[in-house]
Amino acid sequence: MGYKVEVSTVAPENDEGVHYIYEAPVRLWHWINAGSFFVLAVSGYLIAHPFPSLMGQASHHFLMGDIRFSHFVAAYLFGGGFLIRFLWSFIGNTYSRELFRIPVTSGIWWKDLAREIRWIFFLEKRPRKYYGHNPVAQSAMFVFFVLGALLMIGTGGAMYGEGLGEGSWADRIFGWITPLVGQPQDLRTLHHLGMWFILVFVAGHIYMAIREDIVGRQTSVGTMISGFRIFRK
Amino acid sequence: MSVYETQGFRMDNSGRRVVVDPVTRIEGHLRCEVNLDSNNIIRNAVSSGTMWRGIETILKGRDPRDAWAFTQRICGVCTGVHAMVSVRTVEDALGISIPDNANIIRNLMHLTLMVQDHLVHFYHLHAMDWVDVPNALKADPRQTSAIAQKISRWPNSSPGYFRDVQNRLKKFVESGQLGPFMNGYWGNPSYKLPAEVNLLAVTHYLEALDFQKEIVKIHTIFGGKNPHPNWLVGGVPCAINIDGDLAAGAPLNMERLNYVSQIIERTITFIDQVYIPDLVAIASYYKDWLYGGGLSSQNVMSYGEFPDHPNDYSPRNLLLPRGAIIGGDLSTVHPVDLRNPREIEEYVVHSWYRYPDETRGIHPWDGITDPNYVLGKKAKGTPTDIKELDEEGKYTFIKAPRWNGHAMEVGPLARWIIGYAQKKPEFKEPVDKLLGTLGLPVSALFSTLGRTAARGLEASWAAHKMRYFHKRLMDNIRAGNTATANTEKWEPRTWPKECKGVGFAEAPRGALGHWIRIREGKIENYQAVVPTTWNGSPRDPKGQIGAFEAALMNTPLADPKQPLEILRTLHSFDPCLACSTH
Amino acid sequence: MSETVYEVMKSQGITRRSFIKFCSLMAAGMSLAPSFVPVIAQALETMPRVPVLWLHGLECTCCSESFIRSSHPLAKDVILSMISLDYDDTLMAAAGNEAEACLESVMEKYPGEYILAVEGNPPMNEDGMYCIVGGKPFVEQLRRVASKAKAVIAWGSCASWGCVQAAKPNPTQATPIHEILTDKQVIKIPGCPPIAEVMTGVITYITTFGRIPDLDREGRPKMFYSQRIHDKCYRRPNYDAGQYVEHWDDEGARKGYCLYKMGCKGPVTYNACSTTGWNNGVSFPIKSGHGCIGCSEKDFWDKGPFYKHLSNLDGFGIEADADTIGLTALGVAGAGVAAHALLTGVKKSREDHESGKTKDSPSGPSGKDQ
Ligand code: HEM
Ligand code: HEM
Ligand code: NFV
Ligand code: SF4
Ligand code: SF4
Ligand code: F3S
Ligand SMILES: [Mg+2]
Repeated sequence: MGYKVEVSTVAPENDEGVHYIYEAPVRLWHWINAGSFFVLAVSGYLIAHPFPSLMGQASHHFLMGDIRFSHFVAAYLFGGGFLIRFLWSFIGNTYSRELFRIPVTSGIWWKDLAREIRWIFFLEKRPRKYYGHNPVAQSAMFVFFVLGALLMIGTGGAMYGEGLGEGSWADRIFGWITPLVGQPQDLRTLHHLGMWFILVFVAGHIYMAIREDIVGRQTSVGTMISGFRIFRK
Repeated sequence: MSVYETQGFRMDNSGRRVVVDPVTRIEGHLRCEVNLDSNNIIRNAVSSGTMWRGIETILKGRDPRDAWAFTQRICGVCTGVHAMVSVRTVEDALGISIPDNANIIRNLMHLTLMVQDHLVHFYHLHAMDWVDVPNALKADPRQTSAIAQKISRWPNSSPGYFRDVQNRLKKFVESGQLGPFMNGYWGNPSYKLPAEVNLLAVTHYLEALDFQKEIVKIHTIFGGKNPHPNWLVGGVPCAINIDGDLAAGAPLNMERLNYVSQIIERTITFIDQVYIPDLVAIASYYKDWLYGGGLSSQNVMSYGEFPDHPNDYSPRNLLLPRGAIIGGDLSTVHPVDLRNPREIEEYVVHSWYRYPDETRGIHPWDGITDPNYVLGKKAKGTPTDIKELDEEGKYTFIKAPRWNGHAMEVGPLARWIIGYAQKKPEFKEPVDKLLGTLGLPVSALFSTLGRTAARGLEASWAAHKMRYFHKRLMDNIRAGNTATANTEKWEPRTWPKECKGVGFAEAPRGALGHWIRIREGKIENYQAVVPTTWNGSPRDPKGQIGAFEAALMNTPLADPKQPLEILRTLHSFDPCLACSTH
Repeated sequence: MSETVYEVMKSQGITRRSFIKFCSLMAAGMSLAPSFVPVIAQALETMPRVPVLWLHGLECTCCSESFIRSSHPLAKDVILSMISLDYDDTLMAAAGNEAEACLESVMEKYPGEYILAVEGNPPMNEDGMYCIVGGKPFVEQLRRVASKAKAVIAWGSCASWGCVQAAKPNPTQATPIHEILTDKQVIKIPGCPPIAEVMTGVITYITTFGRIPDLDREGRPKMFYSQRIHDKCYRRPNYDAGQYVEHWDDEGARKGYCLYKMGCKGPVTYNACSTTGWNNGVSFPIKSGHGCIGCSEKDFWDKGPFYKHLSNLDGFGIEADADTIGLTALGVAGAGVAAHALLTGVKKSREDHESGKTKDSPSGPSGKDQ
């Protein structure tokens, strides 16, 4: 395939132009992903800590069933979206690759990362401009999101396979994960921890995205909506 | 070689050493070594528990409400009793009182264990010490039938019935694959039963195997499974719903309670029409073999069991007797206090554990379980290939518990002696009746046979008590009382920062106690002193021997190559090694 | 002449018809198609008895106790007619040297033909001497008898996973047998104990078909271990409806609602309890009002507490579960964000104040420009 990994997408100081960064599939995916994650976290939490009991006959209610159903619908969106997003990284533009490929072999990238960390810790006076993700965002997205999502899809898929039964598609694809992590309760524990892992990212991520819009020298949230990055002074 | 006197026994290890390892038809791993004099009489006995799992250590730092499940796995033979004692222990520490129904259901479950465990012990673990299995092939089934009909109303008693069993046994033996009967001591002169009684016993071995699984269904109903049913701190988990909404889905409803009462009735019939008549029939041929009394004529102890009313563990509320007899003085039954740091102490000078000062005993609340596997200097073999133990050094994983410094025998015989000494008709009358039937004096109780007989009487007592408690349960329900659990102190935040407790029971094999310390919602220390710890105890710093060792003393062996008499006496205690060392 | 299984049943007064019924019950119990009934019948009619050597390591003997509770087939019929239980220290007549001689003779007479059944496990600490048999470490006996066995059965959670004595800190280093007998296929029948009819079901499968049953990834027979308690629990409708026992002996408990909130581990436990039931199907833990504690799962002792859905996690101090850890992490992250936002605000207002003065301009881009 004819793509190459961009080592850094730092924009020149004087660039005050408008650039098309996030193509439609990436943007669409991002918001579907954010939405499905939200549903997964809420429904997942409710699976672990169900609502106060409903009284009466079992056949009159299906509350936990519905919560689980929403979890699974969102899980298909989340998992399927993740897969498509990964495939898109072979098709889309340079910026579509940043999420999955960290240029760890590049010294320049590491220097940029250090520079960005210094900026976050107020040790640099002015932020830099980036066409795509800044290296801190990129690393966080990879470590917390990509690895986190893989963990959730893997452990969630293995649990889903338990429900579908031995020999089901989910069991065949993900079933091996259970003995790898220990036993079924370990699977749950990891899956549950994974939610918090990603939530920690999301907290920082949303903050940083909005902050960037305010104090950064470039658009941020807007970029993920329109696709265009507009640099400021 | 060393010779010394203790507890009226002259210990002399100069004679020929005989080792029995593994001792089979018990629970767990027991090794026994004896020295025989030139007349093949046992002059020194050594009992060694050869397994240790460290459950007391494993319990540290865990949730006290979970402890019952861990301690239950101390033993699957006396399944449930450690769990029950554990929840009692935690309730004592936290000051939780349980509803009457919970107490009744626990009693029913524990009685179930008593009956089933005793029955299985008699037929499947002990009988082959008295019954020569292949000899049953020589029996005339018609005569067996005549005997069976004479001693009992049990309907399975026709000549054809015994002939079928005999034929089955015949085919089995002819197959050449003897299975569990391979290499038994068949034909040993110590077997005294006529062929007809052997056939009767073999037949009931099979029938009892079929029936014991019915008894435990009471555990299954209340606790969901057997072995290892479920228990609960604060009560029992099986809620009662007789005529409310969705009663059919409740753990206990009319159908379930009827199921329990039907099992109880069948159990009473089986014990009284099969077990007891067989016991009497077999015993009548062994009246001359009154060895194995050991400590029973001196020191016996019982903590008491079956609280009639909930949350009261004082002697007068306990249906099985409580107390200790010392020096064979039946006129005084001493009170027993499990909380008194000087009454119950464990020594480890001859056990594979380490204490800071091994000349002293430690009360279980401060108990230490720190393994230390070392052989005595005179042991033969290597540390991983023991030929002979050295009883002057450490030689067992069983600790040595003592009551006021005395080695004690515990178990059904102890309980019945104490009940007898207290002149309680419930215990005295059946004993006198049995002794009368056999034409034996009271002193005959203090023997291997006495131990085996007491267990049978107790099985019958327990079966009848099940009927009593089932009725009590139904009375409560009739009066509208269906409470089964008290959850006021379920949450750890309602607990004191620090507390300690003790719980006890009379397990099938004797006095069982658990001691706990709880700190900040977690187990800080947990110690169990178990019936077979008492009976299988090694020597203490004073050289006092335990009940197994004492009971073996001075017994003659008919054939030293076939340690049948050793098995007989050890089995009469129903040893449980997983229990003893835990 | 060996007695066959069918002959035995016949001598017990069992008619041909009920014998066939028994065969179809067995087939159903093993999830086999009805076409297997004649196969089973034929096998039971001609089968001589397979020698079984049953060893005991560190355990509580409740697997044996469970085994003798089997209703179909009866334990008595298994022992007398289906297998030849030539060594089992809980039941055998012989003791000491005579008992050991039984082992040796079977190993010599039937090499590669006998089944080794193991209850409990060997401790590896102290050179194996936390479990001594005949003066030697149990692990030696285990290895020796396994060397010539046709098949190895791991009874219960002890032999399969380590069980209670292997719970932290596992003072004796109790070790599941497949980690010792690495060159053998070990059939795991986990459970603490396993269900009696599952135990005899596996034995009769082997003696009937002359092969070991299909095993899952973990080495458990699929016929009994391929579903979770939760998948066939009769309280599952209550789970799906959102109807739970909230406290012991509450209205939900009396109505038989789901025990999930009381820590039921049914959703994470593979076993046949909710299908086969215990003690001839009389009940199973949940039916009697207590949650499943997960007794057939690896290391279930360390996945507690038993009365909470989430496991305690080691190394995070007291009472830490996934939520406490997650909430703490999120709290730290949130506090970081808040502090950062505050500092950003402070800095920005200061910068706005001093605006116009640019002390040092940012260095140029170090990356390559496009
Ligand atoms: C990032 C996304 C996800 C989050 C935050 C999330 C969260 C959770 C949580 C908190 C639970 C409860 C665990 C417990 O019992 O303690 C849960 C259960 C579960 N999740 Fe997820 N999950 C995610 C993705 C997935 C995916 C992709 C799947 C794949 C199918 C999945 C399948 C499941 C299943 C099967 C359960 C068990 C439900 C049950 O048995 O009732 N999850 N999830
Ligand atoms: C209101 C909520 C959210 C906002 C405002 C938001 C905003 C943004 C923005 C502005 C970017 C682009 C960042 C950049 O240019 O470096 C972005 C990227 C991203 N966001 Fe979010 N986000 C939100 C929620 C989420 C959630 C819940 C997740 C995941 C669970 C998520 C995962 C990602 C990922 C993985 C990227 C990288 C996209 C890519 O490279 O394809 N976002 N988000
Ligand atoms: N507690 C207890 Fe025990 C002992 N010893 C009881 O009867 O057997 Ni396993
Ligand atoms: S698996 Fe459980 S029941 Fe079986 S021996 Fe081990 S502790 Fe006992
Ligand atoms: S009681 Fe347990 S196994 Fe049954 S449905 Fe509820 S959670 Fe599942
Ligand atoms: S605790 Fe065990 S007995 Fe069955 S229901 Fe759970 S697996
Ligand atoms: Mg102890």
